[in-house]
Amino acid sequence: MPGIEYILAALTPFNIFLAITGVIAGTVIGSLPGLTATMAVAVLVPITFSMEPSSALIMMGAIYTGAIYGGAYAAILLNTPGTPSAIATTFDGFPMAKRGEGDLAVSIACIASVTGGLVGAAFLLMLSPPLAKVALAFGPVEYFWLAIFGLTLISALSEGNLLKGLIGACFGLLLACVGIAEISADVRFTFGSQVLLGGIETVSALIGLYCIPVLIDLVATPDKHLKVTHQSRGFRFLEALALSWKAKFSLIRSSVIGTLVGILPGAGGSIAGLVSYSEARRTSKQSENFGKGEPEGIMATESANNATVGGGFIPTLVLGIPGTPPDAVILGALLIQGVKTGPSLFTEGGSIVYTFIYGLFLATILMLPVGLVIGRYAYRTIITVPKAMLVPTVAFMTVIGTYAIRNSISDIIIMILLGVVGWILNRFGFSPSPIVLGLILGRIAEQGFVQAWTIGAATEELGKMFFGRPISLVIIAFILISLFYPVIRARLPKLTLFRGKNNE
Amino acid sequence: MSDQSINPARDTGGMVMACVFILIASISLWDTTNMMDSDSYVFPRAIAIAMIVMSLFLIIWNIVRPAGFMQEEHQKGSAARRIFLVAVMLLSCLVMPWLGFLISGIVTFGLLMLVSMYDPWTRGRKIVYPLVAGVIVVGFYTLFSKLLLVPLPVGLLFE
Repeated sequence: MPGIEYILAALTPFNIFLAITGVIAGTVIGSLPGLTATMAVAVLVPITFSMEPSSALIMMGAIYTGAIYGGAYAAILLNTPGTPSAIATTFDGFPMAKRGEGDLAVSIACIASVTGGLVGAAFLLMLSPPLAKVALAFGPVEYFWLAIFGLTLISALSEGNLLKGLIGACFGLLLACVGIAEISADVRFTFGSQVLLGGIETVSALIGLYCIPVLIDLVATPDKHLKVTHQSRGFRFLEALALSWKAKFSLIRSSVIGTLVGILPGAGGSIAGLVSYSEARRTSKQSENFGKGEPEGIMATESANNATVGGGFIPTLVLGIPGTPPDAVILGALLIQGVKTGPSLFTEGGSIVYTFIYGLFLATILMLPVGLVIGRYAYRTIITVPKAMLVPTVAFMTVIGTYAIRNSISDIIIMILLGVVGWILNRFGFSPSPIVLGLILGRIAEQGFVQAWTIGAATEELGKMFFGRPISLVIIAFILISLFYPVIRARLPKLTLFRGKNNE
Repeated sequence: MSDQSINPARDTGGMVMACVFILIASISLWDTTNMMDSDSYVFPRAIAIAMIVMSLFLIIWNIVRPAGFMQEEHQKGSAARRIFLVAVMLLSCLVMPWLGFLISGIVTFGLLMLVSMYDPWTRGRKIVYPLVAGVIVVGFYTLFSKLLLVPLPVGLLFE
């Protein structure tokens, strides 16, 4: 266990200032639909070039962790995940906000994010070298199955029909294929349009599919966006804390899942959130309340996605392989600083890496007061702003946020059209979540599939390639469980009853 | 409500959408025939075939065992306002290269404010709302163009 000198080095007034500034900036940027954690880190990274490496890392870690948490605000209050990792937060966050408990949902998200962040940082501090090996055990076929696992999970979790969820996921995967193929550079599904050559940008699609349907419905009626309670109820911190304590095992389990998924390069917070959400729903005594505004659902997602911050740093620092996209930006910044990542960083560059890890603890703890204050302000703003201001403001933010991603007006048009498609599909019971996740995971799934296919075809062991590797088999088992668990669970009481009657 | 009182209705809308998905997947399959490299078409073909199979299964399942489909409250409200919102947003994108981000943003904001207004336009609102709208649009424009250095379109008319 590294010594106290690193803790003291992390706690200098300058580092505390950087941590607070980073968390505030990250939370605000992450809360705006269209501005992701990657963008938050990328935009603010030049500020860190003149700093000491450990201070620079503390600031980038604080921005990153704040941005992941900030994504929960839009998910809870607007039904639009501010970042892809907050997709599952919409399942219970928005129903809670609709029934007038948005303030409680925001406080729960804050406590869960802090818990997840601390668990992720603890794993980073104590288990980095052995856990980094997990990242290397995953080959292309495992990533393919992992992506499919994420898609089956979200299909099973989407309220209503599993088949519709799976069809939506396939639609998302096909949308991900639009543009120039990454491996062979063939032009696919553009039908002669130059606009589609660059493909469909995932965050624009996310904004369109989630945010535009909300706006379309919001403008159609004079009803309030969220139920308004007139008496001030404060932060509802103690209430949120009591609920979190009640679900402490779920919270810790979700944080560990988030950390472990975060270690896998490319998997990211969206899969981590979904796996944790699914596991929390499976084991919860109130599993039937999930999707209807169950606080444990928010806890599971938010703790897991913030745990990916610490988890993602493990392969980044130990192997030099970025665990998540923001880690890739941070890795680039470290290389500019002259810091060489790798196993030797923990021994030769101990002062940098351990000061940073303690700084990450500091930033995560600071996220509690900062997050509660900003969350309360966001909630009050959303419920008090009149509809005539809310609709154009959100619409304007979706437009400017989408444009900022690739500086493209075409992306805005695609975003709006996808929003209309999402609204129509939603009317017929097709949830936007599987489509969005299909788009996000399409690249990982295709790369894994094509690489495994090529290797399998070359070695004439195609079946063995896809179904013969131990980790793949475990993931396939999880896929089958996620697909058939609701059927098995529904049939189980009937079977037990039938056996009971036979025994009588 | 007891289970017996639920009259299982066919999810006709879902079946129509399944047909649309079959059409989309078929067009995708046809498009893959133009691709030269197997690395390009193996994945989308697999997905398109899976999508067709599942859509067919959804249709057959609905014919054989209609489970009933609860339509959500999407239909209530003004269709004209919905269409106006989408039309205004799309039009603002089309005029953006000429008018620039700032002007098209202000105009779009104003129009969307009108379409989403259900309260009476009092004198106070007539003054405050446009002012706040201006502050929001100019504020975000400044944040993105000056601080985040996003090259927002200036507009051909103002170059």
